[in-house]
Amino acid sequence: MSLSRRDFIKQLAAMSALTALGIPTKAKADQNIDFWSKAVCRYCGTGCGVMVGVKDGKVVTVKGDPNNHNKGLLCLKGALLAPVIYAKERVTKPLIRRNGKLEPASWDEALDLTARKFRESIDKFGPESVGYYGSGQALTEETYLASKIFKAGLKSNNVEGNPRLCMASAVGGYTTTFGKDEPCGCFEDIDATSCFFIFGSNTSECHPVLFRRIADRKQSDPKVKVIVVDPRTTNTARIADLHLKVKAGNDLALLNAMAYVIFREELDDPRFIERYVHFKDNEKKTHTLEEYLRFLDDYTPEKVADLVGVTAEDIWRAGRMFGEAPASLSLWCMGANQRTRGVWANNLISNLHLITGKIGKPGSSPFSLTGQPNACGGVRDTGGLSHLLPAGRVIAKKAHRNQVEKQWGIPQDSLNPKPGLHTTALFEAMSKGEVNCLLTLCTNPAHSLPNLHKFNPGLKQCFLACIETFSDAKTLEFADVVFPPSFWVEREGVYGCSERRYALIGKAIDAPGECRDSVNILVDLAVRMGVDPKLVPYKNSEDVWNEWREVSSSTPYNFMGITRERLRKESGILWPCPTEDHPGTKRRYVRGEDPNIPADYPNKYWFYGNEDGRAVVWMRPQKPPAEPADAEYPFVLTTGRVIDHWHTGTMTNKVPEINKSFPEAYVEINDQDAKRLGVQNGDNVELISRRGAMVFQARVGDVCNPGLVFVPWFDPDRLINELTIDAIDPGSKQPEFKICACKVRKV
Amino acid sequence: MFKTKTGKWSAVALLAVIIVAVGGYAYVMAAFPENRCEAKHLTDETKMAGDCYACHVKATPKIAQDWYEGKHGVLLVKCFVCHGQPDGKGAIEFAANPDPDTVCRKCHDPAVNRMQEKYGLRAQCNECHPYHQNSIHHEAFQKTQSKKTLD
Repeated sequence: MSLSRRDFIKQLAAMSALTALGIPTKAKADQNIDFWSKAVCRYCGTGCGVMVGVKDGKVVTVKGDPNNHNKGLLCLKGALLAPVIYAKERVTKPLIRRNGKLEPASWDEALDLTARKFRESIDKFGPESVGYYGSGQALTEETYLASKIFKAGLKSNNVEGNPRLCMASAVGGYTTTFGKDEPCGCFEDIDATSCFFIFGSNTSECHPVLFRRIADRKQSDPKVKVIVVDPRTTNTARIADLHLKVKAGNDLALLNAMAYVIFREELDDPRFIERYVHFKDNEKKTHTLEEYLRFLDDYTPEKVADLVGVTAEDIWRAGRMFGEAPASLSLWCMGANQRTRGVWANNLISNLHLITGKIGKPGSSPFSLTGQPNACGGVRDTGGLSHLLPAGRVIAKKAHRNQVEKQWGIPQDSLNPKPGLHTTALFEAMSKGEVNCLLTLCTNPAHSLPNLHKFNPGLKQCFLACIETFSDAKTLEFADVVFPPSFWVEREGVYGCSERRYALIGKAIDAPGECRDSVNILVDLAVRMGVDPKLVPYKNSEDVWNEWREVSSSTPYNFMGITRERLRKESGILWPCPTEDHPGTKRRYVRGEDPNIPADYPNKYWFYGNEDGRAVVWMRPQKPPAEPADAEYPFVLTTGRVIDHWHTGTMTNKVPEINKSFPEAYVEINDQDAKRLGVQNGDNVELISRRGAMVFQARVGDVCNPGLVFVPWFDPDRLINELTIDAIDPGSKQPEFKICACKVRKV
Repeated sequence: MFKTKTGKWSAVALLAVIIVAVGGYAYVMAAFPENRCEAKHLTDETKMAGDCYACHVKATPKIAQDWYEGKHGVLLVKCFVCHGQPDGKGAIEFAANPDPDTVCRKCHDPAVNRMQEKYGLRAQCNECHPYHQNSIHHEAFQKTQSKKTLD
């Protein structure tokens, strides 16, 4: 072998180099971010803090804000937020419908046309012939401003928004029980509780980062119990110690039966009941504890088990788990709210906390989860509904109107004293020609309203101006004018999430094309409609925010200490927060925590929303849904979200991964039912309700109870809301999206 | 350089071996890239869309089971959130081993910073923190062990 040792090493080195050349070095994404900007996630009511990474004026990535309550974590949707901003479907120029087609126009043309149409309608038919339909995803400042423009500037109380479809029953529940809206607890209660009572909420898919916190709590202590009440075996039920797979619609009986168990097992808190609670029936007549107990006698677990669809033993277990736990936390969402007895369901959940005194202590609270990122905050707090004025005041009360008139600097008694039309009434009035002009902001009613066939004619008939980001939103099919707004981190503004936490979305990048901030669009439009410019003297959302702080300061809401400067520095503050050095309030109605209660107040708790300072335990009977299953329509249809998609899909369907993984809606059907109908997984089946019919691919399994079918509602090509019912809760006016009757046919 | 016949032949043989090795390597890298999904074509079908789990529970049952039982599975952090989509057209780079700096940081920025301070930024978080086995139920590890025994 003449190859010298030296030569061999040389050749080996050459070979190694060649080999090395062949190894594909993984291209690292360029992480030289120019700067990180603080924001709040665009999606659900969890309100996670998000940091957006900007390079060369573009958002290139996002990560969780470690200083916000989510401690840096994000969910599937939140982690994939960046591509939504750069969707090719962004509206970047004003559009006007000409010859049936939306065509580009100038800002002046679009604003003048809209202002003229609204003005003409008001002059001819009065202020109630126009309306505004907003969103729990608009900024707090946008909703406050739109509400002021319409109520004070145009004298129309037809100010509504999609929170009516989502949280109205929670508002009704809290105000009837505690006299004031909004949860009294906070997310930190999750870390301190020993029993989760998750009712009608698929937290895992709808509030994923909160679910992680719940799962963490459960993992940290094996004694922590999780009760899930849901007619579907959702991913949330995976961590349940007790899953009550109830029949949809009969769960009011379950809640009363749990109260019965609590008293029978002597798990009630007599001292709390004596000091802080009184009992009322549906006629608002006050009752004694004994009378309440007699009312509960009709709801023994044995009497209601068949109706509820679970065993009496499981109801006993649920009542004991809730009552025996040192701290219990109820979490609920659309399963309780989107019902014709949504307010009652909310009341009955709060009852469980009031009879056991499990409220206002770490880990104990009746906590309603909000669906949208700024419904709890921006809409409910600022009075963005037809019966509300800012900061918990109502139009029907003269004293409240007068307070607001003074704050807004308008003549006394000049506000319209008649509450406006609630959502379904507003769209019905549009069909009848009673409301001629509607301005929408950041919402997609042609997809999200129930019983769409009934309401779409109204959208078609009226003059519809939309401030909308995406050209493929269904509602734009009916729009006469479209205004392109700045989206998410393209402008600054405030979101308020489920736990009364307000946090700032900072402006990180410039908006594309001719997009403008919605606050400026609203101000410009108002002035052109003839609203006194002194009523809307705002240059930007910060000006509006500062006025809102002032307006709230004389009420128990009190945002005075939540300054813009603090919001820029901190990652969220919980109201009430009266001064700049106040840390925010974790638990309301508790002396020492709630700044509305004087330090020398004699009692530990004060439910100051009610005149007598006591919370109400309501005697609400079981009532069936508006349209239960029957012989002709033997299935119950329920709808909901999936973790991948958000609401009407206009944002999530812009993310390639999500669009690919979840391109279309399907129907979930129980395997026993499928067998009987000869349906196999992947077969096409037709769902037929009294309002419409639609074909879906079947997913056969044991997720749904027998007799129940589930369809996610994000898919614009399969609008399940053509089948849902528009029956509403008589108190909250929220539609019963969660339950209607249907039949299923293999096609 | 090569003074004898044997030397020449050795050089030719070595060159041949190198060519075959490099060629073979290049072919393997092209045909079987690290980020290859055998079922890429299937993901265009609605029925199979994005359902990585359905395939992987058969193809790589241990990994699929670990994910399902692990924190990411319980919390529905689905495959594509970290691995991207098989056609590589997604917002996340399709990768068997997600890059800590661009992927893991999205949710675990404080933890990545802590680890970076201690050990420097590693190429993979997975080497020390098996992300599919971090369990909520404390079962994943046992299940992994039982599978190892069975195999």
